[in-house]
Amino acid sequence: MLSAIRSAIATPDLRRKILFVLMIVAAYRLGAIIPAPGVSYTAVQAAREEQGDDVLFSLMDLFSGGALTQLSIFATGIMPYITASIIVQLLTVVIPHFEQLKKEGQSGQAKLTQYTRYLALALACLQATGLVALASSGQLFGGVEDPVIPDDSVATTAMMVLAMTAGTATMMWFGELITERGIGNGMSLLIFLNIASQIPIEGGNILQSRGEAVFVVVCVLALAVITSVIFVEQGQRRIPVQYAKRMVGRRMYGGTSTYLPIKVNQAGVIPVIFASSLLYLPDLLQRLAAEQTDVTWLQTFIQDHVVDQSSPVHIAGYFALIMFFTYFYISITFNVDDRAEEMKKFGGFVPGIRPGRPTAEYLRFVLGRITLPGSIYLGTVAILPNFFLAVTDPGQNINFPFGGTAVLIMVGVGLDTVKQIESQLMQRNYEGFLR
Amino acid sequence: MTQKQASLLTRSRRLLRRLVDRPASVDLTRYEALLPAVGAREQDLLELTDAELTGAATALRDSDGARPTPTDEQLVEICAIGREAGRRALGERAFDVQLLGVMGLLTGRVIQMATGEGKTLVGAIAAAGHALRGRHVHVISVNDYLARRDARWMRPVLDLFGVSVDWVEPGHGRAERARAYGCEVTYGSVSEIGFDLLRDRLATLTADVVQRTPDVAVVDEADSVLVDEARVPLVMAGSVASGAPDTEAARIVSRLRPGLHYETDADGRNAWLTPAGTSVVEKALGGVDLYSEAGSRRLAAINVALHAHVLLTRDVDYLVRDDKVQLINTSRGRVAELQRWPDGLQTAVEAKEQVPPSDQGEILDSVTVQGMLARYPTVSGMTGTAVAVAETLREFYKLEIAVIPPNEPNIRLDAADRVFATRADKFRAVVAEVQRVHAGGRPVLIGTQDVAESEELAGKLARAGLDCVVLNARNDAEEAEIIAEAGTKGAITVSTQMAGRGTDIKLGGSHGTTDDYEQVVELGGLYVIGTARYRSSRLDDQLRGRAGRQGDPGGSIFFACLNDEVVLAGAPDVPGNPPTDDNGEVTSPAISRHIDHAQRVTEAANLEIHRNTWRYTRLIERQRDDLLGYREEVLRGERATELLRSRCPQRFAELDAVLDGAARDRVCREILLFHLDELWSRHLAVLADVRESIHLRALGRETPIDEFHRAAIPEFHAIYPEAERLAEATFAEITVEEGGADLAGAGVRRPTSTWTYVVHDNPFDSDAEQALKKVRGTLRKRRG
Repeated sequence: MLSAIRSAIATPDLRRKILFVLMIVAAYRLGAIIPAPGVSYTAVQAAREEQGDDVLFSLMDLFSGGALTQLSIFATGIMPYITASIIVQLLTVVIPHFEQLKKEGQSGQAKLTQYTRYLALALACLQATGLVALASSGQLFGGVEDPVIPDDSVATTAMMVLAMTAGTATMMWFGELITERGIGNGMSLLIFLNIASQIPIEGGNILQSRGEAVFVVVCVLALAVITSVIFVEQGQRRIPVQYAKRMVGRRMYGGTSTYLPIKVNQAGVIPVIFASSLLYLPDLLQRLAAEQTDVTWLQTFIQDHVVDQSSPVHIAGYFALIMFFTYFYISITFNVDDRAEEMKKFGGFVPGIRPGRPTAEYLRFVLGRITLPGSIYLGTVAILPNFFLAVTDPGQNINFPFGGTAVLIMVGVGLDTVKQIESQLMQRNYEGFLR
Repeated sequence: MTQKQASLLTRSRRLLRRLVDRPASVDLTRYEALLPAVGAREQDLLELTDAELTGAATALRDSDGARPTPTDEQLVEICAIGREAGRRALGERAFDVQLLGVMGLLTGRVIQMATGEGKTLVGAIAAAGHALRGRHVHVISVNDYLARRDARWMRPVLDLFGVSVDWVEPGHGRAERARAYGCEVTYGSVSEIGFDLLRDRLATLTADVVQRTPDVAVVDEADSVLVDEARVPLVMAGSVASGAPDTEAARIVSRLRPGLHYETDADGRNAWLTPAGTSVVEKALGGVDLYSEAGSRRLAAINVALHAHVLLTRDVDYLVRDDKVQLINTSRGRVAELQRWPDGLQTAVEAKEQVPPSDQGEILDSVTVQGMLARYPTVSGMTGTAVAVAETLREFYKLEIAVIPPNEPNIRLDAADRVFATRADKFRAVVAEVQRVHAGGRPVLIGTQDVAESEELAGKLARAGLDCVVLNARNDAEEAEIIAEAGTKGAITVSTQMAGRGTDIKLGGSHGTTDDYEQVVELGGLYVIGTARYRSSRLDDQLRGRAGRQGDPGGSIFFACLNDEVVLAGAPDVPGNPPTDDNGEVTSPAISRHIDHAQRVTEAANLEIHRNTWRYTRLIERQRDDLLGYREEVLRGERATELLRSRCPQRFAELDAVLDGAARDRVCREILLFHLDELWSRHLAVLADVRESIHLRALGRETPIDEFHRAAIPEFHAIYPEAERLAEATFAEITVEEGGADLAGAGVRRPTSTWTYVVHDNPFDSDAEQALKKVRGTLRKRRG
């Protein structure tokens, strides 16, 4: 491990890439705290002090690394880009021209990327406008005396929107630069950064409000959670496979590792995101309908049991949804019949099991058995922060970065990046360090 | 407007065009600025004697060759001498644009020059320029005929430069090769130079090494070599005694029936047993379980026999001649003399045809064209169509392109494609078109997809009363002769895209008079017909480029139909039911666009395969380099002697007593080299094995290429200690006699014969690629 790190740093090319990423990271963090023109910095800081966490905004804040509530030039975060790329992805199914471009490989992909950028800018402009409007009308921070935007003339507002849109473009560029000239996927790395940058802040909050003992316990727990997440993420079941097509007359090589790997967490983070989005829906609907004065039993129920994250109903529902989506997602992404068919065609088989339908049955059996612990694991990690609620600030706290989606994303991106470094090393014929 | 203003205007207009067009090419203004200086030098050089001209060239030699690129003064002088040398030796005074090409090559670019602009002379002057700066140049061409022709043709020019030149071709012996590579400029085909590299890598005596350290490569037809053939492996194989042929498997398989006992996939690449077939085979074998751990050996034999029986057809895929099975290279339509199927398939086919089993080939070493070229510190190239592959050249070779304008503007007329509903309609229209154009005597060149199509079309033309000449890829030299005459009045020539590359088509025939030339010009020059769009637009352009050389008139048209290979491969789902007229010609412009789209899809797919192959071979090439570094120390130094002296001092002393120093060193060396080479061959086989199933890792969210590396690297690092251990063991075993040691007795037996071949189509490797693409495709689709 140490020698691998040493060779990573000793390889000039790789060292340059790592330094490049660090440089971009620094620039990115700097941008996240530079206030947009027209914002009263002191008023924003005062408001942030005073403000309790609001669920919706705090989630967005988490994904923008705190830039949103700072009203910085990077306030829109990279959400516009992510949304744009999802929309363009979906459009490839709908618009024939997009579909054709997608099939045309690199040159077509380049055009799609270009469209994604334009769309992202449009979305950023929209989001920035909304944000500035919210902030200047005082809705972003409730109950603040000093206005965060002292001068709310059209010119200033336009300038702020322009600055934030330009900020989005810069962030996109940063992300692409990392992908192109650095290491790992730039966009994922920026998300990672946003989440990770919240850890010291949240840690500080706990230290201040709860004292040192609790802080130490939380740190140990957090480490334990991260370690076990890494452990499970690396876990896989290896189904031995033999290829009987080309071995005739050739010496057999002992121990060539021919196997089909199935991860314990085969579904990744997607089920958690699906489940949490679904649980936000009632809250969102209710907010939209907030004008109504009479409170129905349904609204009370939603307020008490769905929105309130510490309620047992919420936790149980969340857990069940995650388990459901895990099974659902695996069943559509891992088509055992296709796999068995493909193996049969190319002369592969699982020793002791006939190709074709018996192999498919076997794969289905193994997959089904491994999905159960996988889904329980996902559910557990996801609901962890809800248990932590009592420890940190009372009330809503999705922001807590030691569990749930945040830790899954962080570990996922972290492992990916390390793997990328390793893969760069291996291309140069050094041995890797992950086993 | 002053002249200065005007030039500024044209310059900025050109700059703008470069920005708007494809930003792939480098700016030529720097080189253009040097042209007046070259022109000024012309008169001086004209008055020199030949010896003085050579003297002027030699004066460049002691200039500083260590700089990576020549200075402007050097460029000017090289070009000026080159122009004069060309004029004296060949009667060809190089045009300004040719000199721009020379400068592009000397600064390590790929230059794009249209056909007929005199690339050969450009390459020779550039090679001389490199040589004068103390570098060693390989001019790499696509086939042996062109290498020989160009070397002979350009020798007088290079002589005037005082630069030595020679070429390599298959008939040459070791001494001739060593001499050729000893020259400053060596012409050779890409395969010949590659094979020499492979042979050198396995040499056991320093005297057997013929090539010098690679230095400068000037690649002719750079896009074919660097892109189309880049992933083609050149292979060196050695014979190992074949196992007994499995006649039992062949017999059992021959009784199976399609559909019932086995199935094949649509493109005829795979065949597999059905459950019914499995029971039949198991019964015939005496009740074994094929799919158990123990039965897999029998299963492999059955699978290979099934493959031989079902997927390989006699007289299509192979010939049986003199009790031997010979492969047919379908893309070229000729017998691939030296190639054999890998891994027991050859033996299985021999068992099927009941001919005696031949020796099996074992791959000793292999290099891809790209890996071979990556060894040259300086690579430059020339081609007619480079811009379309600019991205690829930059990605894989870090090469930039310089687009050289034609000497005379191109006035060829390219007609829009004509699209037909069916293949039959298309061919009827092609014949009609040939008839129409030929009526006035205008020469026609028809480019087909493959040899079979050439033959078919020739038959149809003959039935229509049209006499044509068919080029069917039999012999490069004959083809060159035939294609050179394609511009003669009244000529109809049918040829594949590949045939006759590098040969100019002069209007009026190669030996025609000015009168003949004028007559053909009158008729509109050469008319080129393509029978279908190729797999990339670049290949289309190469065919079109046959017409309209040096400002000659000319025309081109492509015919297409909805069943063309490129459409089926790229975008088989043609939208709707396109309207056609009475002749079956599709009138909707959307279909034309659809064919363009299909072509772009196949281009992208080819690029993806190229990238993928390169990613897998890059590590192997790197490991090979590493091992060769060690091997070089053994071959040229005392490393083997030192090793064995320290490992087995006692045995060493015994040997030392009987043998003299040189003989002793030689024994040590041969033992260690033998084990190194054998372990490398084994390593290649292991990697091929790993490669086969590595695509499955994608299912566990792993990256197959990384997992491949993870498996390959420890395997490689084990080679050194293992080789040393084995060498030690062998050393202890050998029996020594007066004058030498009995190495063979101790198992140090090199293959009795070795041969080299080029793998143009390897069904097994593409399996792995196909599977990988499929798995990745489904994953991506689902995630998206």
